[in-house]
Amino acid sequence: MSKNNAEKEKPGRQSGLADGDSKNTGINEIQFRNWADAIRGGSRRDLARAITLVESNRPKDVEPAQQLLELILPFSGRSDRIGISGVPGVGKSTFIEVLGKELIAAGRKVAVLTIDPSSPLSGGSILGDKTRMMEFSRMDEAFIRPSPAGHTLGGVARKTREAMLLCESAGYDVVIIETVGTGQAEWRVSRMVDLFAVLMLPNAGDALQGIKRGILEMADIILVNKADGSMKEAAEQAANEYRSVMDSAEAGVSGKTVLTCSATDLESVRSCWQHFAGELSQRKKDSRFDERRNAQLLHWIRSLAEDSMQQILQDDSASRNILNELAGQVQKKKITPLHAGLAYRRKVISELERHDKRNKIPF
Amino acid sequence: MEENPKTAHVVMNIKKKSIYTSRDLSDRGFEESAPGSFPFRRGPYKTMYTKRPWTIRQYAGFSTADETNAFYHKALKAGQRGLSVAFDLATHRGYDSDHPRVAGDVGKAGVAIDTVEDMKLLFDGIPLDKVSVSMTMNGAVLPVMACYIIAAEEQGVKPDQLTGTIQNDILKEFMVRNTYIYPPEPSMRIVSDIMAFAHDKMPRFNSISVSGYHMQEAGATPLQELAFTIADGLAYLEAARAAGIHVDDVAPRVSFFFAIGIDFLTEVAKLRAARELWAMLVKERFSPDNEKSLMLRMHCQTSGWSLTAQDPLNNVVRTTIEALAGVFGGTQSLHTNSYNEALSLPTDAAARIARNTQLILQNETGLCQTIDPLAGSYAIESMTTDMVSGAMDMIREVDKMGGMVRAIEQGMPQRRIQQSAASRQAAIDSGDEVIVGMNAYRSDDAPERDVFDVDNKKVLEQQISKLDHIRSRRDPGTVKRALAAVMEEARGDHPAGSLLERMVDAARARATVGEMSAVLEQVWGRHRAGQSTVTSAYRKSYKKRAEFMELVDEVEAFARREGRRPRMLVVKLGQDGHDRGARIVASAFADIGFDVDLGPLFLTPAEAARQAVENDVHVVGVSTLAGAHKTLIPALIEELKKEGAGDIAVVAGGVIPEKDGEWLKKKGVLEIFGPGTGIPAAARSVLQCISVGGKGNTDR
Repeated sequence: MSKNNAEKEKPGRQSGLADGDSKNTGINEIQFRNWADAIRGGSRRDLARAITLVESNRPKDVEPAQQLLELILPFSGRSDRIGISGVPGVGKSTFIEVLGKELIAAGRKVAVLTIDPSSPLSGGSILGDKTRMMEFSRMDEAFIRPSPAGHTLGGVARKTREAMLLCESAGYDVVIIETVGTGQAEWRVSRMVDLFAVLMLPNAGDALQGIKRGILEMADIILVNKADGSMKEAAEQAANEYRSVMDSAEAGVSGKTVLTCSATDLESVRSCWQHFAGELSQRKKDSRFDERRNAQLLHWIRSLAEDSMQQILQDDSASRNILNELAGQVQKKKITPLHAGLAYRRKVISELERHDKRNKIPF
Repeated sequence: MEENPKTAHVVMNIKKKSIYTSRDLSDRGFEESAPGSFPFRRGPYKTMYTKRPWTIRQYAGFSTADETNAFYHKALKAGQRGLSVAFDLATHRGYDSDHPRVAGDVGKAGVAIDTVEDMKLLFDGIPLDKVSVSMTMNGAVLPVMACYIIAAEEQGVKPDQLTGTIQNDILKEFMVRNTYIYPPEPSMRIVSDIMAFAHDKMPRFNSISVSGYHMQEAGATPLQELAFTIADGLAYLEAARAAGIHVDDVAPRVSFFFAIGIDFLTEVAKLRAARELWAMLVKERFSPDNEKSLMLRMHCQTSGWSLTAQDPLNNVVRTTIEALAGVFGGTQSLHTNSYNEALSLPTDAAARIARNTQLILQNETGLCQTIDPLAGSYAIESMTTDMVSGAMDMIREVDKMGGMVRAIEQGMPQRRIQQSAASRQAAIDSGDEVIVGMNAYRSDDAPERDVFDVDNKKVLEQQISKLDHIRSRRDPGTVKRALAAVMEEARGDHPAGSLLERMVDAARARATVGEMSAVLEQVWGRHRAGQSTVTSAYRKSYKKRAEFMELVDEVEAFARREGRRPRMLVVKLGQDGHDRGARIVASAFADIGFDVDLGPLFLTPAEAARQAVENDVHVVGVSTLAGAHKTLIPALIEELKKEGAGDIAVVAGGVIPEKDGEWLKKKGVLEIFGPGTGIPAAARSVLQCISVGGKGNTDR
């Protein structure tokens, strides 16, 4: 073993899963408790490693991750969850830098989870650039974790949500989820945050042409950024255009707030946040806040079930064999497709049970 | 207009033909011209080297002002004609030596200058009215110019007697070199402020040196270097025009600075084309009355990037060929690199050979007797014309985006240059491009061990004690008032007064470079450039498919085994902004399937460690080119340990002499990737380090 292993004996390293003896599910309950305590105690290293664990694609990591999550679950849920989306160059990082510093000055702790696209060719990625968040990223009350989107949207949604719970249990009472605004991840993110803001560029004409109607539907607030200097007027004009689009559109799109913003200007960002906070406290008063979270929870559980079922159907060779066999019978015109479908369903259910037993999934 | 990277027709370089004939000349409408007359293809002057050879101007500076001064005296005695000052990175970025962010950089890649006292020591015994001085300074250009003017003043030399050049070229800093301080807008104001001051008070001084050198070093092809440099030059003339300065008051004091790569004919053509392009474009866009406004004068430097760490004596040959291209291209002054510069700053012996290369060209070859001897060659004249028209296309593209400032804001030239750099790397890694002694014909001889090292700690101590001394002896009231005047000027509307004039007063009062920079930072803020990085260029240019896919499969296997892709944080530490290597590694590693975090520039070890911990990377790769590795990398390892993350592997690449590499390995660095390491070899080695049973501990 290398010289680096000596590090294991250092304090701060005893709490986590980091130790080499944690092969497979070999972490004992005490270690899990220590780990959860370390996360709650504010250990950056342990929180970061917990996020790695929940993000792991390795089947054998699923259960340990769930075990850890169960320990921190009672301490989660106490943050304002904000989604921020927009195309590259719109000013998301600058906005978060200014907002994050402001929130910390007001006594809050801020975690930022960014989801960056993975290359369809190589699967690799170049991740979240913290250049424009330097001052914020240096602060003790800040935590920034960029993650690669990978190739399964369901996967990234689960992982981001679980990472969010971990951050909350570590005491971050504002969690910002940042995405690059291509329309895919946003749909998932909008279903895990309390408030979803989309940043837009002030060149209204072009933007309206290019914008995905879907993103407008998801947004609670649209911020037309770069409303400064020579662009101020263009931004105001763009905001008006968005407003009129909203007003003329069918239900579901109207009733959104459209604001102009200058991410480089503290006053402007501050007033955006006042708007966010006002909206959140209003919803907390009239129970819309809880309703939304409950609906999100239902949606989450259902999509987890669907995603995992789909994955088993795709990956499990027994299920695939059943499907092939039934397909063969339909091809030979022995049974109808409907009967084949029903038979497939029946056999898959028993296959799922077997799968869960084999993988020792509780409940 | 936003460029569309998918549809943009990207020409990276001119295409060479296997044979040129007289038809190539007539097809291109070739017309003969004379040296010293429009469009100056054959040279800016009638007599060229026949009356006076080019100026031998070696760029040098290291450690303290005393030590550099001693080096200058030696060089002048040995036949050098003008001085060219290399400042350390702390000075470039406007920090005093005692600033906590610059600990590793003081005196390393240049001389440390904190006050006018340092500047006086630097030129001690050197008459500034006789010896021309070129200063490579862009970020902290105001305080450094101010210190230079006062150093001269206290020698009894007036500003109008000073000859030389200040680089003062901020656009290429935003593009490739990264030693900017302030955001683009106030930075451009500084550029024209200096141009205006020099026009009024320093008529013999070149107030700007528009530089393509750093573009080619960052990966630009000669054509890209040419086009973007000329476009930068036009942008400065525009800025001067906007500040109310007539073109004939600035253009004659604008000089240029090009790199000379190893592609001999292309480089000769590029230098000849530069003069023609500039003359045509300045005439067309600014209609000057003075013909001198159309004359492009240049300094050239042989390419540092073309040098290899392996078999370093080969570099003497490379540098000679490049120098020759500079001479055939008609340069006005020249720097020749030393053969061991891929490893460290030059040793005395290496610096002597570099200088002698030029002395031999001037004194022994007879080359100075004939002006522009390659003129009329089918190949050279055709390639010169192709360079002009190729660059013209790119400049028009820049025009369509609203000019160079806009194009840089949108990252267009940066992306183009990164693409070229990644493609070139792939060509070298796959053996398409042969570099003797590095990826082919390797020698078994032991590598060069004779390197030059600056004791950074000693320099730092000396600078700090000098600073303390000056701060305790000066009149605090005068300093305060002078700095307040600078701030007031900066707050005011441009072009009301002269920032440099206020700075000169502050320098006279012994305000430090750091203090003078800080007051401007208070008004304008410190600029941070985003790190947009190209992808796929490496993958596309790697010709040996099977070999490439093998590597991709190894990464996939790791990802399956570990539950996630190998994740690497690529960082530069300290004030070293040379990020070609870091960007290529980031982009190529992502192309083979790594998840890569590219750290912001100018991180401290603690900031890098924190990012490594939060992102929970497997490995941190430090790219280091400016000599601060011995201070900053061990500090990074310490910081990782402090965060309980001593198991995160650390590897390093860049300009690291072998003995430093061994030393760093003892401090816990797992692998050292010296100059010339291929991406596939580096990636495999990193995978090895972070795999179970490998050097790093990743049984996670």
